[in-house]
Formats: sequence, C-alpha cells, structure tokens
Amino acid sequence: MNFEFLVNGKNVSVDVNPKKSLLNILRDELNMLSVKEGCGKGECGACTVLMNGKRVNSCLVPAFQLNGAVIYTIEGIMDWQSYKAMEKAYIEFGSVQCGFCMSGFLISTLSLMNENDNKISEDEMKWKLGGNICRCTGYTKIIEAVDFLSKQNELMSKVKRDFSNAFIEKI
Amino acid sequence: MKVYNPLNIRELDNLISGNVEKFTYVAGSTDLMVNENRWSEAHNLVDISRTDELINTFSIDGNGILIGSAKPFSDIINQQIIREKFPLLVEACRQIGSVQIQNRATFGGNIANASPAGDTLPVLSVLDARIYLGPEEDGKFRIAKVEDVMIGPGQNSLQNNSYIAYIYIPFPDSENHRWYYRKVGQRFALAISKLSLALTAEMSDKKVNEIKICAGSVAPQVKRAYKTEEFLTGKELTNKIIDQSRELIINEIKPITDIRSNSKYRSKITGEVLREALHSLI
Repeated sequence: MNFEFLVNGKNVSVDVNPKKSLLNILRDELNMLSVKEGCGKGECGACTVLMNGKRVNSCLVPAFQLNGAVIYTIEGIMDWQSYKAMEKAYIEFGSVQCGFCMSGFLISTLSLMNENDNKISEDEMKWKLGGNICRCTGYTKIIEAVDFLSKQNELMSKVKRDFSNAFIEKI
Repeated sequence: MKVYNPLNIRELDNLISGNVEKFTYVAGSTDLMVNENRWSEAHNLVDISRTDELINTFSIDGNGILIGSAKPFSDIINQQIIREKFPLLVEACRQIGSVQIQNRATFGGNIANASPAGDTLPVLSVLDARIYLGPEEDGKFRIAKVEDVMIGPGQNSLQNNSYIAYIYIPFPDSENHRWYYRKVGQRFALAISKLSLALTAEMSDKKVNEIKICAGSVAPQVKRAYKTEEFLTGKELTNKIIDQSRELIINEIKPITDIRSNSKYRSKITGEVLREALHSLI
C-alpha cells in the first residue's frame, strides 16, 4: 500500500506493507540512518523520532498510521538553530561514547526543552529521559549536558521556535 | 490485509454494521506491535487514531470528565483539570513506559489489551470509571466497569467488533478525598509492574468513612479488595487494624507467580504496600 507523509520537511511516498514500522521505513526506504534499532520493543529509545511535534518510538508506529504525518529525524533536526548548541554541550560534557543512543537522546533532550518553561529539576530530567537507554558512558554526563542546556533561557526559546517552525500548520 | 480509517464514530459504526470479519482496532499501537501473535493475526486493521470523537473528546460536566478512548496519555495528564482533580491518575500515567510511550499509548488500549499489569486499570477501578462501549445501539453506548471489560490475562469481554469509545471518570465528591498509588517494578522507567496498588478514601480524621482498594499485576484479573474495604470501613486506623488488614488483603487477592515475580514476594509486598498506604492516610 502507498503512504504519503513529510520527513524532514520533504514530501515522501512509500509503497510498503501497512504493518511495516516507521523505523524500518526510515532506514530501508528513505536512508535515514540516524534512526537506530536497539530493542525494537519501545524500551531503549534509540529509534526516537519526532512525529507531529512529539517524540515517539518509531519502532512502534505502523505504516498505516503515517498518512499526513510530519516526521523529523536528526538528519533534518541538524539544520535547526538550536541543534548546534546541543551538539556542542554533549561533546564538551563528554556525554557521548559509542554514539548509538545519541540520536534518540538528542531528540528527547530537545523535546524536554520544548515541553518545559522553567528550570527543569534533576528529578524531572531523569524521569523524562527515562525512555532512552545508554549502555556505555552512563547517565551522569548526559544529565550534566542537559542541565547546562536547560539553564539557557535564550536557547529554550530557540528550541520552541524550531518546534513551531517545523510542525505548526503542517500537521 | 485491509486497512480502514474511520474519521468519526458514525463511519466507525457503519463499518461495523456492514462487516462480519474480525477487526483489530489500533490506537497507539504500543502494545500491539510488540505482541507478535496478535500482530501477525491482525488482518483487518481499523485505525482509530484519527477517529474524531475518540481522539478529541475531553469534556467536563459538573460531575466528571469524559475522555476519548484513543487520546494519548500525555495529552490527558498535561491538562490542568486532570492535575487538579485526579492527581492519582497523573501519578499512575506518568509511570507508564516512558514519555515516548505516553505520547502514543491510550486508556482504550490499556483496557482492551487486558494485561493484568495494565497500570491504569486499578486506578480506573478505584475512581469508579465508566467505560462506554460502542457501537451505539438506539443512540446509546453500553456502559461497563473496568473489571467487566478486562476479564483475564489478554482477554477482554468485547464481542462482535464492539469497541471502547469513552472513559468517564466522576469527580471525587468530598473535600476529604485522599489517594495513594504505588507501582513496584524492577526499575523506575519502562518497568512492567510486579504490583500496582491504587487506593482512594474519604476520611474524618483517623476514621475511614469510605475506602476503595485495587491491586494490579498480582492476579490474573485486576482485583478490587472488597473484603478488605469492608473491614476497614467505619474503623479508626490504628496499628492493630492496619496489621489485620494486611493479612486480610493477602488472603483476598491471592497473588500469583509469573515471569516477573513469585507469589511469596508478591504477597509480602501487597501487604506491606497496603500498610504504607494506610499509614499515609493518618
């Protein structure tokens, strides 16, 4: 069956089994290789993408729910104004080791900043990043980077602008 | 394989009346896609994630709130009125899976999937939620309790393609309304429960006027502890009474052994968590 939706701002049309997961469509059909398969069961968060403004596990979204959806992966998010600051903080705080979980963590970090107005408590941060699992470097350095980022008011507004540019009036 | 996309309840009900094949309703798909058997046997997929009333309904009247069955949890727990009136519901929903899951998963799915470990089920039970079941007959939905829909592990009572349309949750009717929720799992994020205990109570000082207790994950069905509730009603919560109710609930619930935990551990924590819950009321 044919399904049409937006990926990173571009119209795409795929002819796939209606049960095929968004994860496999992004990787096999559209060559979006930033999206990783860790568990394939919605636990590890490596396949996290933005769908209609919210983060979801792409392994748990079937093709037949995709018509008209607006999807963003790191390939598209890399062009957002807020992305560079986030990338820099993750590098400077030593938050990245093998990198496999990173696409998911970066998308969850952006979502966290988009969803919150004020300073985010460490508890809240841990709770809301709980859907992403890292098996090498541990979470302390990731939390430090996110804490540093979420204290910058200007950046927080930039993230919200990026989200509305990407999703509002397109969903 | 067929895929149907009803855009409103009228289209959905027409679809049901014109078909004899067995439908698989899909809202957030977070349970279905990881259930290999059910997913591979699903040949007539009905996408209800765009069925207007099921995703958009969120209406408040003087007595309670009506929520579309296919509305994702995060849309519900971010509503101010839910945070004010149903902190118990917010606490239970925010412990489901992860934010990624909460952005897709729904009440309708949690009930229809009928997992004994479905985290919202004990909460909906103690809040006296009413489940509206479609299709409409003579302009009316059938109304049931959670325990009438979830009847065993992976088994719901929905026959002939009937579906969950709405969840109605009445507002607690007293200023003295108290609540408690505890989920015991392997870790905080993404854990499947070994036990979840939900409790609501109306208290006058230390005296229990009314109490509702429901345990999830410990038995094949989500079980209200009616005998324990009855024992506690009208009593002052003393240490002795609390200890007695701890024994009572273990005998009443009869926790089971499965891959996540064994009955010995579950019995112990069911009693201990109830003790903690009752202490939190005084």
